[in-house]
Amino acid sequence: MPHERPQELLPRSVKEEFKLNTRFFVAMVTCLILPTNRTSADSPFVAAFDRFARHADIGGAVGGRLLLSELSCTGCHSTNVQELQPKGGPNLDDVGNRVQSEWVKSLLHSPQKVKPGTTMPDVLASLPLGQKKHAVNALATFLESLRQPYPELKANGATPVPLEFWKHGHAEHGRTLYHQIGCVACHEPDNDYEVVKIKPSPIDELLEQLDPDEIAEMGLTSAARRVNSVPHGELPTKYTKKSLTFFLLAPEKVRPSGRMPNFQLSAVDAADIAAYLLRGAKIDVATDSRKPSHSGNTAINNSSLVEQGRKLFVNLQCANCHVVTGLKPTGPAKPLTNLQTETDTTCLDGPLRNQPHFELDDFARNSVVAALTTMQAQTDVNTAESLNFRMLQLNCYACHERNKQGGVGRFRKPYFETIGHVDIGDEGRLPPPLTGVGQKLKEPWMRNIFNGKAAVRPHMHFRMPKFPESATRDLPSQFLRTDGGTQQPSEQSVFSAARRPELVEAGRQLMDVGCVQCHSFKGHALPGTVGVDLDGIANRVNPKWFHGFLLNPPELKARTRMPTFFPNGTSQNKELLGGDTDKQIAAMWAYLRDLNKQPLPEKIIHARNQNYELTPTDRPIVLRTFMQSAGTHAIAVGFPQNVHFAFDAEQVSLAQAWRGRFLDAEGTWFVRSAPPADPIGNARARLPGGVPFAAIDSPLQPWPTNAETAGYRFGGYRLNKDGVPTFLYRIHEIDVEDRIQPTDDGGLVRQIVLRKREGARHVADQLYFRPHLGKTLTLRQAGAYSNDDGVTVAVSLRSDPAGELRNSDAGTEWLMPLEVNSDLQIEVQYSW
Amino acid sequence: MVDHCKLDQRRFSRQLATALVLSLVCTSSAELAGAAEENDYYRLISIATPRAQTDSRSKTWKPAPEGLALEVSGMTVLDDKRVAVAIRKGEVWILDGVYDDPPKNVRYKRFASALHEPLGLLKHDDSLYTAQRTELTQLKDTDGDEVADEYLTVAKGWGVTGHYHEYAYGPKLDGDGNMWLTLNIGLGLKGNQLTRTVREPILGYRQGCWRGWGLKITPNGTMIPVCAGMRSPCGIGANAGGDMFYTDQQGNWVATNSLHHMRKGAFFHHAEALASMSQPGSTIQGVTSVPNGAPLPQALEQFPQLKPPAVWFPYKKMGQSATDIMLDASGGRFGPFAGQLFVGEFTQASMSRVFLEQVDGEYQGACFPFRSSFASAVLRMAQGADGSVFVGLTNRGWSSLGTSSYGLQRLVWTGKTPFEIKEMRARPHGFELVFTKPVDAQTAQDLQSYAMNSYTYLYHSTYGSDEIQKQNLAIKRSVVSDDGYRVQLQIDGLRELFVHELVAAGIRSRNGEPLLHPHGYYTLNRIP
Repeated sequence: MPHERPQELLPRSVKEEFKLNTRFFVAMVTCLILPTNRTSADSPFVAAFDRFARHADIGGAVGGRLLLSELSCTGCHSTNVQELQPKGGPNLDDVGNRVQSEWVKSLLHSPQKVKPGTTMPDVLASLPLGQKKHAVNALATFLESLRQPYPELKANGATPVPLEFWKHGHAEHGRTLYHQIGCVACHEPDNDYEVVKIKPSPIDELLEQLDPDEIAEMGLTSAARRVNSVPHGELPTKYTKKSLTFFLLAPEKVRPSGRMPNFQLSAVDAADIAAYLLRGAKIDVATDSRKPSHSGNTAINNSSLVEQGRKLFVNLQCANCHVVTGLKPTGPAKPLTNLQTETDTTCLDGPLRNQPHFELDDFARNSVVAALTTMQAQTDVNTAESLNFRMLQLNCYACHERNKQGGVGRFRKPYFETIGHVDIGDEGRLPPPLTGVGQKLKEPWMRNIFNGKAAVRPHMHFRMPKFPESATRDLPSQFLRTDGGTQQPSEQSVFSAARRPELVEAGRQLMDVGCVQCHSFKGHALPGTVGVDLDGIANRVNPKWFHGFLLNPPELKARTRMPTFFPNGTSQNKELLGGDTDKQIAAMWAYLRDLNKQPLPEKIIHARNQNYELTPTDRPIVLRTFMQSAGTHAIAVGFPQNVHFAFDAEQVSLAQAWRGRFLDAEGTWFVRSAPPADPIGNARARLPGGVPFAAIDSPLQPWPTNAETAGYRFGGYRLNKDGVPTFLYRIHEIDVEDRIQPTDDGGLVRQIVLRKREGARHVADQLYFRPHLGKTLTLRQAGAYSNDDGVTVAVSLRSDPAGELRNSDAGTEWLMPLEVNSDLQIEVQYSW
Repeated sequence: MVDHCKLDQRRFSRQLATALVLSLVCTSSAELAGAAEENDYYRLISIATPRAQTDSRSKTWKPAPEGLALEVSGMTVLDDKRVAVAIRKGEVWILDGVYDDPPKNVRYKRFASALHEPLGLLKHDDSLYTAQRTELTQLKDTDGDEVADEYLTVAKGWGVTGHYHEYAYGPKLDGDGNMWLTLNIGLGLKGNQLTRTVREPILGYRQGCWRGWGLKITPNGTMIPVCAGMRSPCGIGANAGGDMFYTDQQGNWVATNSLHHMRKGAFFHHAEALASMSQPGSTIQGVTSVPNGAPLPQALEQFPQLKPPAVWFPYKKMGQSATDIMLDASGGRFGPFAGQLFVGEFTQASMSRVFLEQVDGEYQGACFPFRSSFASAVLRMAQGADGSVFVGLTNRGWSSLGTSSYGLQRLVWTGKTPFEIKEMRARPHGFELVFTKPVDAQTAQDLQSYAMNSYTYLYHSTYGSDEIQKQNLAIKRSVVSDDGYRVQLQIDGLRELFVHELVAAGIRSRNGEPLLHPHGYYTLNRIP
């Protein structure tokens, strides 16, 4: 990239100083670099450098290289080395409404004082006070003029976005979120925050008992060390509630480097965390809607000051780190490989004129020197180093352990909790270790993880945040190559028999041996069980890893709670598949691979049924629902005698009967999509459908097919003291009471009473009863017919007309003319 | 057992030992930034707000492991000790001791069961009434054991295709003793569901009969279709005059949530409700085409049966899913808003307030935020004998703010009067604001204290509408009444059929308080 010469944009007095300074520079060039007396406390803070390099857990040159990218040295000293590209500072296109102007001024005046640990150098360090004040003012005014409207947040039935949500954050809830979801993996927890007492991590327990020498002997020094926090400075003076809330919602927009990842917060959660982080803020200037800051501020209307600031911004090389649309980085500075640390006067020291001042302590400074010294010597970087370097940059180690490096820092683990405080050990609360992850996970799944689309651990409060694609692009393939995971054996070669359909059911049965105790399946689990859902596992992990992990879990994952089901490679279950270990593992894979099409493991089905299966014990159970057999107005009635029926209240028809288990009510009670309920039991019989009675003027007239047009009006039901319903309905001017109950021999008996309404006019047509129909009807005995579905109906009537059979479009119908003068009682028996 | 402790990083293990001592220092001393102010005036008492085990949208949603799944879908006050609630799994429970503060000893008794997703509950004479998916049912206890033994069908006959979205809501009583029901539209019917539909021969729409309609059932049991065009009419309620209103929810044909006056022959939004236009008893006739994609004012010209809502609830600003309607009939025991309507809000777990007036015989008015931070989606509200409001919660199937998936809370006026815009009345050249307290004349006269813009919506089959044709309006003059309760705002550029959004952030009461809620949204269908 061609570097532009800095233009002469500074006010005259500043310009004079610069001229002087240039001479001074020349004089200094050959001088030795002066050592500084800074300590790490007021030096820029780079998390992985602080945690590992300062304690020699990683080499000094690696630490120095880390500073080259994280301090954005390479923003000016360009390099082709991909991994050393500058982290860069925040995008400043909206800084005017994101950050309070007074804070910007203080920061420019003394960065390390205002934001201890900041990686922003002091670009004005060497200016005399008067000029510095003017420069700060001009820069701040320019920055305040950089404004962008806040984005409109999308809302729908699943995402609440209340009016001015940023004003209404609940600090207390924000505090909980801050400590639970992972912020404190990097940032400082609140000393007063209470966590729930849990069993400490085994490693922490061990560390508590050892003295320092023992810790060192066991190689646990790094694990025993307190990990310093990434400071976020005095937030209440920096942000407004609104700007911090919007920053938390999309940190990558401001910090595209991904060092601050995106926790995919809801609008309200972001407002809550912002309210917590800004607790104690006196006035929220920019959110006071009475005085919008842009119209109230006269400084940014001072266009010449804005212009001076803009020029300074470019001249001071601010644009080399910060994106401001329309401004380009400036140089020149020596490319990284040409830097001669022994002879050059560098910005590592100072403050020197026209140079950013980094305020490095000796150790950091020497690390950079070491990195630059070895730069030329370094040939090609291997993948493992490159991967490690990226993980250091992104501070993956703040959460994840890999090859005995990193992991949630000492004293931070208690903040990582399992939802509901179920004890499933560190695996249930800490981010997973990444040792060997390139063997375990499939590449597309890894990409999902970085894209924030892989929440498979709903039992953890901690969330894996989303990282910008640009920051994580190479990571999946690097994991694969480093861990030897690129050439994965096919499913066929790992499980020679996995595609055999008979394995699937065996796999399902094997789930009940142990898996169901800790895992969920398609969202279903045994009561109180929380753990990774095994649905979709074949899309996540490699077959070979699955095989190896089941065979010997601790070999692939140290200290795992996953039990060994195949001690010494032998199965404990000798029944299934002949006790063949490989076949059993293949069977589990086969079942889990197709889990979305397979029934749940039996134990989970059983547990589910405890909650939702309706089992009449001492009284009948009624359920109104949708049913395949009885339509959308179904009333199902189950009896302790294990004989049940479904009544269609729309067509006023006894639709179905069955024996055994009654119904599962989950769909009716709790499922939004309102699925139909179906009988669980067996011996299901479709009973003669249609309305039972009809007023037709001759035996030749077809039986009505619609209750409403046939003059029916369903009137509900009445429960007797035993809970048995009697259905109430009207046919024209006749009231009907219809009670259906089990018989002693597993059938149903129906008692019907017809009564002409008081004051009713005469019934015009002859009323018929149709007890039965079928393709054919066979006489069983006097007053009893069976149809070809095997349903037998027997009628006893006080005045016992046998009725007659007729053939019609409906098949063979048994019709009985009725005389309804006073109460008419009919008893009908159904057996099947 | 879960116990709390303070975590001191330096002395972690030792502090663990002192956990029990410190466990009394719990986190409930919350700094409730946003809601704290509302809480000063309207206090929330939780009667039951358990935590569910799963996300409200999960396919495998489960209620809390212990206790009743109190997903309140209907509620009616029985007396000064008890309320009855319907719950979504299909039961009615009588809850005794619910006025206790704190409600430490609430007794639960199941009154009825086996109801198919009842979405309303009304005590009338000596019975409870509820709308199930398929019918309006009267629940009667005939033997005095406080358990219903008669489930009598009062009205039925509307189409039920089996689609989940075909909810039936109600009943609520109007001033003449009629019971009102509203019926959701079905969405994307297919297969067997289509066999249970009616089809409008000219327009071609197919829906279950009377889907998207408001019905009334007369005291003698006759069911009368009244008005149509509803999408998801989750709330029904009468105003002080006994006129009936319903709320609709944003979606296809519905630009944003809305409040409508139900009256004969009115058509509101959802075109597919016209499927029943040619059914006997229909009050809508002669619609031959439906405009799709026109701004509301033009759509109203092209479609004369279409009536604008009395109040639009601008999306996000005034909630995302409007629910129940409740009249404050307490005569002042619920604070300064007697006679106004309160509207529940699902997604944002809150309540809004509505001021209505009649201009040329048609209702229109303004909505205001009222109370947020309920424990879950507000589905039902019922005013207690003491003027306090019982709030029934359930968010299953969708999502909401709050800590619970369901429950029951009670909202009690603390006796302190919040500084609020009580009424916002349309005037020929602006609006008149009526406040709950006298305003400070200086800030009230300062035109900078106010900002107003106006916008309307598209009438189209698409899901929801943006605010369109938005304009800022200039406040020309502000005149404060002598008593300080009223402010006349003279405004240029009022537009009929536009929502006029007011932010009165700068105004102060005489005591220097800012408005608890500076926003108001007036649906100016007609300029008087």
